[in-house]
Amino acid sequence: MPELAKFNCSQTIDCKQGAVRAVRYNVDGTYCMSCGSDKKVKLWNPASGLLLKTYGGHADEVTDAAGSCDSSYIVSASLDKSIIYWDVSTGTPVRRLRSHAGGVRCVCFNEDSSIAISGGRDNAVMCWDIRTRRLDPVQVMKEAKDCITTVLTNEHKIYAASLDGCVRHYDIRVGEMTCDKVGEPITYLAQTRDEQCLVAGCQDSTVRLLDCETGGLLNEYKGHQADDYHIECGILQSDAHIVAGSSDGYAYVWDLVEAKVLQRIRISDNGGVVHSLATHPKRQELLFARRRDMYVFTTDVQIEEEQL
Amino acid sequence: MDEEEHLHRFGTPLEPLEKDEVPAKKPLSIEDQIVKDENGKRRFHGAFTGGFSAGFWNTVGSLEGWTPQNFKSSRGEKAAAVQQRPEDFMDKEDLGEFGIAPQGIRTRDEFAKDSEKEQRTGQRKRKLMQPQMDGPIPGVPVLEQLLRPVRDKVAVRILKSMGWKPGQGVGPRQTRKEKRQTTARNQREQYLLEHYGNEGLPSSSKADDDEEPEEEDDEDITFAPDDYEPIFYTPKENRFGMSYSGLSRAPVLSKGSTPAAPMQHINLFGQLEAAAKQKQLSIRGQAFGVGAFEEEDDDIYARDDMTRYDFSLADKQPKKKKVEYVQQRHVIDGFSEDKSNSTLSQPYTIDLPRDFQPRNWLHRRSRFAPMDAQRARRLEQAQEHKKAGLGRHDLNPEQRAELLGEVVQTTKKNPFKIATSVSNQQERSKSLLELISAKSDNFTKGGLITTTGEEQLAPSPSPAVELNKELQQTNASILQQAASKTKNLASTTPSGGFKPFLADEAKQQRYEQFLSAKLKDDAEITQFLADLQPVTLSLWDREMEKKEFIQASKIYRPLAGLMLDRFVSEATVQAEQQQEQLKPTEQKKIVMTRTKSMWKPNALLCKRYNIAEPFGGALPDPEKDLKGKPKMSIFDYLETSINTKANFQTPNIIPKHIEPPQKPSLPSEQPKVAVELPLKSVEQSAKPVEMIDRSETASETPAIKPSFVPRTPLELAVDASRDQPISEKTDLFRSIFDDSDEETDTKPAAVEEEAQQTAAEKLAAMQAALGIPITAAVPASAAAANVLRNNSPPRGLFAALFKPSEEQPSKPKFAPIEGNKLKIAYKSREERLKNDKELAMAEVPPEELYGPKLPSQLKQPPPGNNSKHAEASIDAKLQQLWQQHAPSKRKTEHWVERTMSSSDHSADSDEDSSESSDSSSSKAKRAKLKKSHKKSSGKKSKKSKQKVKKKSKKSEKSKHKLKKKKSKH
Repeated sequence: MPELAKFNCSQTIDCKQGAVRAVRYNVDGTYCMSCGSDKKVKLWNPASGLLLKTYGGHADEVTDAAGSCDSSYIVSASLDKSIIYWDVSTGTPVRRLRSHAGGVRCVCFNEDSSIAISGGRDNAVMCWDIRTRRLDPVQVMKEAKDCITTVLTNEHKIYAASLDGCVRHYDIRVGEMTCDKVGEPITYLAQTRDEQCLVAGCQDSTVRLLDCETGGLLNEYKGHQADDYHIECGILQSDAHIVAGSSDGYAYVWDLVEAKVLQRIRISDNGGVVHSLATHPKRQELLFARRRDMYVFTTDVQIEEEQL
Repeated sequence: MDEEEHLHRFGTPLEPLEKDEVPAKKPLSIEDQIVKDENGKRRFHGAFTGGFSAGFWNTVGSLEGWTPQNFKSSRGEKAAAVQQRPEDFMDKEDLGEFGIAPQGIRTRDEFAKDSEKEQRTGQRKRKLMQPQMDGPIPGVPVLEQLLRPVRDKVAVRILKSMGWKPGQGVGPRQTRKEKRQTTARNQREQYLLEHYGNEGLPSSSKADDDEEPEEEDDEDITFAPDDYEPIFYTPKENRFGMSYSGLSRAPVLSKGSTPAAPMQHINLFGQLEAAAKQKQLSIRGQAFGVGAFEEEDDDIYARDDMTRYDFSLADKQPKKKKVEYVQQRHVIDGFSEDKSNSTLSQPYTIDLPRDFQPRNWLHRRSRFAPMDAQRARRLEQAQEHKKAGLGRHDLNPEQRAELLGEVVQTTKKNPFKIATSVSNQQERSKSLLELISAKSDNFTKGGLITTTGEEQLAPSPSPAVELNKELQQTNASILQQAASKTKNLASTTPSGGFKPFLADEAKQQRYEQFLSAKLKDDAEITQFLADLQPVTLSLWDREMEKKEFIQASKIYRPLAGLMLDRFVSEATVQAEQQQEQLKPTEQKKIVMTRTKSMWKPNALLCKRYNIAEPFGGALPDPEKDLKGKPKMSIFDYLETSINTKANFQTPNIIPKHIEPPQKPSLPSEQPKVAVELPLKSVEQSAKPVEMIDRSETASETPAIKPSFVPRTPLELAVDASRDQPISEKTDLFRSIFDDSDEETDTKPAAVEEEAQQTAAEKLAAMQAALGIPITAAVPASAAAANVLRNNSPPRGLFAALFKPSEEQPSKPKFAPIEGNKLKIAYKSREERLKNDKELAMAEVPPEELYGPKLPSQLKQPPPGNNSKHAEASIDAKLQQLWQQHAPSKRKTEHWVERTMSSSDHSADSDEDSSESSDSSSSKAKRAKLKKSHKKSSGKKSKKSKQKVKKKSKKSEKSKHKLKKKKSKH
């Protein structure tokens, strides 16, 4: 396992779209999206900080976005109870899908981007077939007792984290729903690259590592402050480090095995909640959202030197 | 000539008309005469070319023509009446100098008549006079001086000369205060006049009017009094109600039935006169066709009525008497005294009660307005007797008797009495003072006054003393006593108020006892009720009753109780907060719990994920079930006490230990396998059929139920830890895996071999017989994973099919390893399929078979060879049938669990299958098989072990790498 080099800020982007609700990488990490409270999604080049496109059409704050596997479409979730399927190049909404009874909190694509999965404040997870023109969800899972905060998927499973303290695994292959009850409201969920474990950011200022197979609690990571925010967490590309935001303007990087804080990344001097983050799918790069800004952090030394 | 000389000619003679000459120019005929306006435009058109036109041709004002009013939305101001003036309908010419309503600039009246004011505007006057100066007679024209236009009445002129100005009132000048008073008074009078008419004004108002204004010296500034319409009081001369006027003789429908001009428009005779009288210079008209100056048409709709005829022969007009104007004393010149004796007539008065206070009911007084002093005093007086009577009148006879210490005759009427009658006897002997103080203490504490609390009090010597003491009580304390009594009334008998089980008296009694016991724990309640309930009651009824009681106690709580639940004192809240603040030091331990349940993925979802539908889409769809759900009914709520969700255990999702069914049948079957060869083929044939069936209902789970009888301490531990959360199982896992790290194959195998000797033997025998080389762990784990399995006894055709399988002794004695079960299940399925296929390929004598056939297992093992042959052939057919089905099924399930490599297992299975195909039932073979099973199980455990250790290894790895890097640096 390589030693974790210190993350340094390589880029600060003022998104100019009100408070940034979420930042996400696209499938290969060359672009990133920021979801703003001004009802728009913006597509950026994180390396240069160049604004590529703005996608406007939502009627309320955008809470989450995801890029398709070929990076030609974006799906975004909004508090206006709808998700929009965007064409990246033209910037027009291809489809607007409405069936949620509450604001939509999270959205993701499946592996070949044929299904979009969304979870909302109406406690429902909905699977949308976006290959066809069908406007109602293919499947609705309403097992959760509280707001769905994150949906994830892999080849055969759909994971849904909810504020009722449960992670639900919907195994399509077996036809079985497994509910792992943590007990604390889960504000974010990330998947390790080997799909063996889940990283769950909980409301009690703890990030927990859960075993997918057994449902066991493998590790706990503490030190940051979650307060009442939906603090997101992530696992770095190497699957060796856990990262999470904090309400005190820092981001924390832990060692996966030892649960030791390796770095306390100072995002900004003047406070602000670091609530959203995204880990680069290939490199040691991180994306943070704080207030109106987006920050790109890398371990690359060259960039730092260039800046100097 | 003479004649001509005598004639005198005046004027100029007309030109003599010559005889043959026709006048050259005809005078213009009327129709040829054209009226033009000042712009030279034609004013009138012919009737067929537009008539009196002011519109398009003769555009009213400008070039644009007549423009309509701008649209103004009347939405906001619907009620506002549109003010239309005559000018709106007039042409510009009409307003001109020669129009019907000239609006040119003219001298105002006051300028025209007042010489002083004329002097002020001397410039203008001079200008006007100038042409006159130029005239033949210089100076102001005499006629103008003599004849002056009269514009004002004499009275106005007099007033003006006295300093009066229009708009002011008449009277002496007033100070500010006076003026305010008079305006207020005038307004009030005006109001009264409007509301009561001019005859019935209250007499008191007059008295108010007469108050003399107080002169204030400090205010030097005086104001002219306001002008207001004076009120004329007419004395009431009839006994009608206020402002009532009797029926008038005028017909109801007639509009203008005012006393001044009754039946105006239908008076034939007076019409012309009236019209002439009323003819003023005003713009009036009657619809179309009547000009402004034309006479109105007769009212064609008027009815002729006899009232309109005058039958009298007398003069219509009464003769006017000559009025003598006699100079009188105290009368100004020109005025005369009123001769009419109307003032002499006394107005009717109503004798009002002396203390009558008029009140205007329109001025509604607020309930919350402070009571006026007089009324308060009166009320107080009215309540006086109560205080004097020490509040005795507020008590009912029983309470009074109680206070006096009399023996109370307990009557069952009062529910309050039922509850307290027992304690009353004791109560009597107590000091009332103490009682009250105790109660008031309780009251302030916020608690309820209980009978027990009263019983604790010490008894006082005698009621006689009590009486004396009672007399000494202040009024207040007695009232308090009464209040506390009423409180007691409300707070006792929490359940007595409502009896939910009144129909069943015994039940109601039980319920009351249950309530009084105030049990919390479920077990306690059960125990308590079990003692109460009659023996005849069935177990189910007991349970029902318990639930009903609990439910009823929840529902029929007194209001106070409900409220107590709802409100918490602030002190307790603070205390809780403090406790919470202290708590966070100790971290809450997270206990992970995992539950599994069925979930049916949508077919399309599976398709998009490129995954075959689980169970071939045969899972029941919960959504469809929901649709059939009936509507909400009130009866649902009535039965909630029993049928609530909470009362049902959720289906066991974690596979639990299931009782081994039909244990005794095992040994009897075992020899069959060992001895009788034909059975093997029988069972072989049975198996595939079963498989097909299962693949429809539960694809990767065999139908064999797991049965588990703990034998060894380890097994016991495993059994005990089944329901435990994963985090607590570490010890168990350690105990399982610690020693088996190196010598998995030998040592634990040996241990377990002994433990599961009999079971393994049975299993091996079965497997040998079935030709299925599945490891023993497989069915157990798979069955454990299959929570969807229907455990009810099979019915119909399946009953016949599955009956033997239930009797089969293949009950694995193996604890499923948590987390690994699914994988094992998958692998086993694969193996099994492979095996079965090979089997089917190997030995299938082709034969035809039609219709469903019960497996021959049902029959008793045949004694003869003939039957054996027959069975063998049937089996073969069944095999063939299955073979036809098998490949298609297999295609859908060819996926492999990624994490596990199945190569070695398949090799195992190959080996096993070859063994089974030998169809030998010897002991040695069985032992071998057993061994292989052990091996595989060992491998499995090893694997899981490896998995568990994976993470730690990873960490070690990472550490290692770290070190490496460091060294590099």
